[in-house]
Amino acid sequence: MKTIRELELAAMNIRIQLLTLCNKEVIHIGGDLSVTDVMTVLWQYQMKYDPQNITDESRDRFILSKGHASAVTSFNQASVGCFSAQDVIDEYAKDQGRFSMHSCNLVNPYVEVSTGSLGHGMPVACGVAAGLRLKGNYTSRVYTVMGDGEQSEGSIWEAAANAVRYRLGNLIAIVDNNGLEADGRIDEVTGLGNIADKYRAFGWNTVEIDGNNVTEIVRAFDELPSADSYLPTCIVAHTIKGKGVSFMEDQIRWHAGKISDEQLVACIADLRANYESKWSI
Amino acid sequence: MSSSFLRNVIGEYMTELGQKSDKVVLVNADLAGTCRNRGFAEAFPNRSFNVGIAEQNMVSFAAGLACEGFIPYVFSMAPFLSMRACEQVRTDVAYGNRNVRMIGVYAGVSGGISGATHWSIEDCGIITSIPGILVLEVSDAWQAKKILNMTLDYEGPVYIRVSVEPVKDIYCEDVKVVSGGSITLKEGNDGAILCSGVTVQYALEAAEKISAESGKNIRVIDMYSLKPVDHKAVIEAAQTGRVVVAQDHNVIGGLGSIVGTILAEEGLSVRFKILGIPDRFVAMAHAPYLYKKFHLDTDGIKSEIDNLF
Repeated sequence: MKTIRELELAAMNIRIQLLTLCNKEVIHIGGDLSVTDVMTVLWQYQMKYDPQNITDESRDRFILSKGHASAVTSFNQASVGCFSAQDVIDEYAKDQGRFSMHSCNLVNPYVEVSTGSLGHGMPVACGVAAGLRLKGNYTSRVYTVMGDGEQSEGSIWEAAANAVRYRLGNLIAIVDNNGLEADGRIDEVTGLGNIADKYRAFGWNTVEIDGNNVTEIVRAFDELPSADSYLPTCIVAHTIKGKGVSFMEDQIRWHAGKISDEQLVACIADLRANYESKWSI
Repeated sequence: MSSSFLRNVIGEYMTELGQKSDKVVLVNADLAGTCRNRGFAEAFPNRSFNVGIAEQNMVSFAAGLACEGFIPYVFSMAPFLSMRACEQVRTDVAYGNRNVRMIGVYAGVSGGISGATHWSIEDCGIITSIPGILVLEVSDAWQAKKILNMTLDYEGPVYIRVSVEPVKDIYCEDVKVVSGGSITLKEGNDGAILCSGVTVQYALEAAEKISAESGKNIRVIDMYSLKPVDHKAVIEAAQTGRVVVAQDHNVIGGLGSIVGTILAEEGLSVRFKILGIPDRFVAMAHAPYLYKKFHLDTDGIKSEIDNLF
């Protein structure tokens, strides 16, 4: 079990891998970086998942509803041994490669459900959660990670109602609430308002955390109701798009993009300096 | 000759299917009564899910159940299944190659006086253009049961279009169904009617009338497997020199388009007519009135065959 410090180091390494890839290819870097801390704790601390036995009934299921965060997912899968981080960098956006702009299980068996179009992962996750219960599996959880802009999709709320109706306490939905969508600030584009209040109103166990604070993320996971409970949990993770790279933070233009060699060197130096100063190395 | 309502047959047979396999689960969206799902829900309350009026979620939820090894049977009206939930059918079911069975009732204009919102003259075109879905249309009660049995073992997604108009009983218990199959109901070498669903009964009657009146023998083929389609049956039908396709669907994108593509690709020269619903919205009316108006009924099909001589 990794410590907070080890998880922060792991998150830094994921960011370095993302930026290394972002130096080669256009990726959804903004939303990858905002959700890096959540994904790192999820994959490297919280989830039961054995890459040697990917159909193990007792595993936790992960469905990436914000399918464009495929790179941060792939690097975390690499960190638990599904493949190597270098594989991701070498094959990303390559013809016949396993990794691209959105996760695809035709070529990557560690992807439980192919996603990309928004508003699909969460409703499928509800069905998976109901299926686990029907099989008598009351120990596995289903984790789904959504975007905040994605909350505009009506299908999310169809599923949100059903998750409560079918008492899916094994379903953990995480919203990467970075405040930006492709065309601008969410409050200006769609006026979604308070997302956590909406999940509360639908009857979910709703938790709000600083989604870029590893300690808070770990605590939220540690305090989850047991997998056999009956209220689905929504973790609204308040994050910063582009987190960790000063010129990308909270910038609409870094929804997707590519960085130069100079930017890469500067970004990595910054990330290392921040980690080292925090832990007084 | 007795007749059946296919949605009743299918809805009621689901209970039997549920007894055959505990992997069978049912998902609908507040149309349990309409789709005759209540028997299954009473027999297997834990395996029956009603997600409310939320067709997109219905399909995604079913895809999720299929991820966990279940065989979900999704019931709705064909327009809502194929259009409201179209992207869920394509992305969550077909892209993932999930064993979801989608049963769309109210196929074609069989929804009658409910009007165009409840008709489905587009579903065959929409669903057959999605990769990897077995697309079927049922014409008779025994065939419907055999198709449901087939779906217990079939690997991959299945879409079944079902009319709510009554259909005459055509087959008996020994009817065989297979992916890519067709059934020749009447032999003949003077022309052929390729049909599916509700029109099969009318095509048979039309061919019999023609035989009685003129002695011409018209082949009648039930093309119940719309995708994959029985190429050989189409090619052999073309050898009669006259092909009429009759389906309760838009003339564009339905069985007529499927057959026409094969004829063109094979370079077959043949007198050819597609009967269906014209490519425009029409006002609500009872289905038999519409079938008569658009030459999909017995007399209409007969007159269209006669026109090819």
